[in-house]
Formats: sequence, structure tokens, C-alpha cells
Amino acid sequence: MSFLELKKVTRTFGKLVALEDIDLKVEPGEILGVVGPNGSGKTTLINVISGYFRATRGEIYFMDRKISGQRPDRIAQAGIIRTFQSNVLYEGTTVIESMLISSYQQYKTSHWHSFFNTRTWKDENEEVVGRVIELIKLLDLLNDTFLPADGLSHGYQRLLGIAMAMISKPRILLLDEPTTGMNHEEAMFVVDKIKKINEQGVTVLIIEHNMKVLLNVATRVVVLNFGTKIAEGIPDEVMNRQEVIEAYLGTEMV
Amino acid sequence: MMTYIDYKNVVPKTIIALGVLLIALVPVLTANEATLSMLILSGIWSVVVMGFTLVLRAGQFSLGQAAFMAIGGYTSAILTVQMSWSFWPAFLMAGLVSGLVALLVGMVVLRVGGIYFSIITLALCEVVRIIAQQWESVTRGTRGLITSQPNPINLGFYEINFFINSVPYFYLTLGLVALTGLVFWRIGESRLGRTFAGVALNQVLAEHQGMYLMRYRVIAFTVAGVFTGLAGTLYAHFLTVLTPTMLGLWQSIQILIMSIVGGIGSLVGGPIVGSFILYIFGSYLTRLEIYGIQQLLFGAVVVLVLLFLPKGTGLVDLWGKFWTKVIWREKEFEMDEGEE
Repeated sequence: MSFLELKKVTRTFGKLVALEDIDLKVEPGEILGVVGPNGSGKTTLINVISGYFRATRGEIYFMDRKISGQRPDRIAQAGIIRTFQSNVLYEGTTVIESMLISSYQQYKTSHWHSFFNTRTWKDENEEVVGRVIELIKLLDLLNDTFLPADGLSHGYQRLLGIAMAMISKPRILLLDEPTTGMNHEEAMFVVDKIKKINEQGVTVLIIEHNMKVLLNVATRVVVLNFGTKIAEGIPDEVMNRQEVIEAYLGTEMV
Repeated sequence: MMTYIDYKNVVPKTIIALGVLLIALVPVLTANEATLSMLILSGIWSVVVMGFTLVLRAGQFSLGQAAFMAIGGYTSAILTVQMSWSFWPAFLMAGLVSGLVALLVGMVVLRVGGIYFSIITLALCEVVRIIAQQWESVTRGTRGLITSQPNPINLGFYEINFFINSVPYFYLTLGLVALTGLVFWRIGESRLGRTFAGVALNQVLAEHQGMYLMRYRVIAFTVAGVFTGLAGTLYAHFLTVLTPTMLGLWQSIQILIMSIVGGIGSLVGGPIVGSFILYIFGSYLTRLEIYGIQQLLFGAVVVLVLLFLPKGTGLVDLWGKFWTKVIWREKEFEMDEGEE
């Protein structure tokens, strides 16, 4: 049984081929890093998996169910949750409000229970709020709990993005450049948090531009260039391969 | 943890309770028909404005709420006048039909939402008006339908007579306002309100967190449609006549203005305050008998609100802010930080 599997996935925008015949398997429990220079199709990869874009060709399977061509909310319900490259938040909400809105999938009882404020709803809500607080603690956002989300610093907004994805209890978490715009220390802080999340049994697919970050966190990496997969393997080994260095630095440099 | 009386919560609740009680006692204090009629009509508008605000809370801007009033009004008027149903089943039927139309229109248009939704609802206003005008055999066209108030109800010891004065109708309207307020308040407090906020504030993010946007937009629009239809029935039967031009585009705009004046921060308080103030203002302006003065000054009100209270903050939200920031000079969330 495959966990998440992409079979010959292609995505084109007009004549531009953003992804071409990508075959990819994500194993449960791993942290898979996807690297590549700008415009190599990394974000398109996440967009296609999460259903934001449809794959032009090819199929995506998750736990042996075909998810390509489904609506984003169906894919999210299947347990694939993503974050965004920029800080995408619920405008004008506080941290706790954002988290509560995001905990949508955590409620199993119908809306009627909540409407009539029944015991079942109260119990369930208490449980979810408890989990929200736990997660806020895990990601060091406790002091900001009641502050407006858009007033947080860039780094904490990125963390909040991850927290908002985590509250859905994803089976697999797709992180789109979680450390953009951070200095090395901040990035290492986020890396540490991602490792903690992974320890809780969440499979992580992380897209990263910054090699140093990836070497620290990923258990396996895939290198993309011009929409095709050019290398795959253990981070240290892959990063020393000739074609990977060429893709990053250009042929002339080598 | 020390126990304390939460004045911040108790005092506004007391004010609301006293306000409701005072309004409920108006017929006892005064039997002035003009006052009652004013309260009844602004009550009807407040139900409609609550519906508009609910749709807005789910992120959609409906310019066709008056069309649902017309659908409700015409349904019950046709049923009572042309098919001689009694008022009560017709009243319920009106809510049902109006909700059904909202559901069907919503299922088609809310797939895209946004500006397309606003345009289609605007068109809906015109479509309803044209149908009412042209379908003469049923709606009597521009001559309009002459409706009547409900028949007297004999309770044995007391007869509720809608023809003698407006007091029974006042309580009927008050009941609808209370019911709508209760339902909408619960929606706002419940998980549904939270989901509406998610869908409205960032649809891409909401969708990637598993919320099916269209489902929640349609729910909001349909619930609003049902209550708007019921309010439309009360409107048509209170005024005892319903013509195609009574509920059109201008009325839809009026609903929008009432909503922004009251503020969209609250689902119940804002719409009620906004519609009362603007209905009274509007009926005063109508008495001046200057053509177009109402449109002109309502426009001015909108400009003022947008200048001084942007981002959907209306009078009620302003009062809420004043209450927390000025009257209770407390450091916010002191309690929560202290607990850790």
C-alpha cells in the first residue's frame, strides 16, 4: 500500500510546463524535502496535491484512494493539509480565533449540537479547545494567544500557519517554504518545531529553497529542476551530486 | 481563582433585557397607532436586515434581499387572496417558498460567489418585479393585491382581533423579531458562525482546511431567505396592499444601508438598531414630501458611516468598543495570562 503516490503528474499553464511526468512516493512517517531552484515547480507540486490546481495529466493516490481531480476540501478531509508560501491568515482574527476556525475538521458531531448548545457539543468543544491550547504551547505561541494574528512578527505568522494546519490532525502535512524570510536562527527554531511535529507521527512533505535548512530536517530529498525530478535520495548524498550542483549554480560555475 | 461578578457581561445583558421589556410593553403604555405602526415596520425591516447581515457574514454580498421579501409577500398574498387560504398556513408557506428559491438560486450562483453573486441577486430583484407586473392573472399586475390581516382568533376568554388596532400585529412582529434574533444569535455563537467567518475571511484557506465553501454560503443564504420571506409576508399583510414596485432595488439598497449603519459586528443588535434608526429617519423624510430627499440623505449617511466607521463597524460595534475600552478600563485578558 502506498501512502501518497504521484503517478506521472503533469501540470501545464498554457505552453509553460510547470511539472512534467513527476513520479513521487511519500512513505509514512518520513520528512520528505523537495528542493529546487526558483521556478522549478515546487509550489505547483503542493498546489496540485492539495487540489488548488488540477493535474493536467497523471494521477495522485492517497492511501490507495484517487484524490486527483477532487475538490480541495475533500482532499483536506482525507487528511492532506497544506500551508502557504506567503502568510495566509484569517483577516482580522486573533490567534485563538484563527485556531478555532481552523479546527473545523476536529468536530465530529453535527452543527445542530452546537446550535442547541447540547452537552455533547460542550464536551467536544472543550476537548478541541484543549488541543488548540496544547498546539499553541508546542509552537511557542502562548504569549500571543489573544493578539491579532496579523500583528504577529513574520516568523510567528509562519508558525501560526503551521499550527493552523496542525490542528486539523493531518495524516500528511505539506509545508510550502516554512522558513522564507527568516534568518538562520529563526529557521532552525522552525526546523526544531517541524521535527517535533514529525515525532508525533505526522508525515511531512516540506518544500524548501534553503538547502541548509533541508539538510537539517529532511530524511529524504527530491530535487526538481524545470518541472522534472532530477535526483532523489538521502540529503547529504544527493546534495553532492553533479547534476544537483549544476541545477543550483549553473553549468558555467562548475 | 477568585469568583467575581462579570459586570462586563451582566450589565449589557440587563440593558438588552430592559430594552426588550420596554418595547414589549409599548402597547400598554400607548395605543397610538402611528407609534405602533412605526415599530411594526421597523421590526419587519430588522428581520430582513438580520438576514442580509447573515449572508454578509458568510462572505457574500446580496443585493436581492428585497426580492425575497417580495417572494414571501406575494406567496402569502396570492394564497390568501386568490386561493382563499387562511393567513397562518400562508405565512408559513411564504417562508418555505422564499427559502426554497434562495436554496435553488444559491446552489447555482454561490458556486462562484463574490461579485457574480451580487450581480445575480440584483437581477433577481428585477426578475421578481417583472414577473409580479406581467403575470396579471395571478398577481393583478401593477394594480397589486389587496391583502388583509389575519382573521380574529377566539381563545374563549379573549379574542385576538387584528382589525380593531395594531396591538396583536405588534406582538406578532415582535415574536418574529425575537425568533429570528434567537436563531441568528445561536448561529453566531455556534460552530456554524465560526465556519461562516472562516469562509468569509479567507476562502482559499478555508477550503484547504476542509470547509466546503458553497455548502456554508448556501446555508446562510437559505436561512436568510426563509426569515426574509416571513418578514415579507408580515409587510404585505400589514400594509394591506402589495404592488410590484413596493419591494425593489431601492429597498434592497435600503437594507444594505441599514445594515452598515447598525454594524455587521453583531448579527442581531446591529441590524435591529440600524433598521430602527433608518426607518424612523426615512419615514420622517417621506413626510417632507420632497422628491428624492430620502435617497439623497441615505446616501449621505452611507458616506458618513464609511468615512468615520469603516470596516463594517456600525453604531452597535462602536458602543461595544466604547463599553470595553472606555467604561471598563481593564487590561484585556489579564485573567488568562495570570492563569499560566
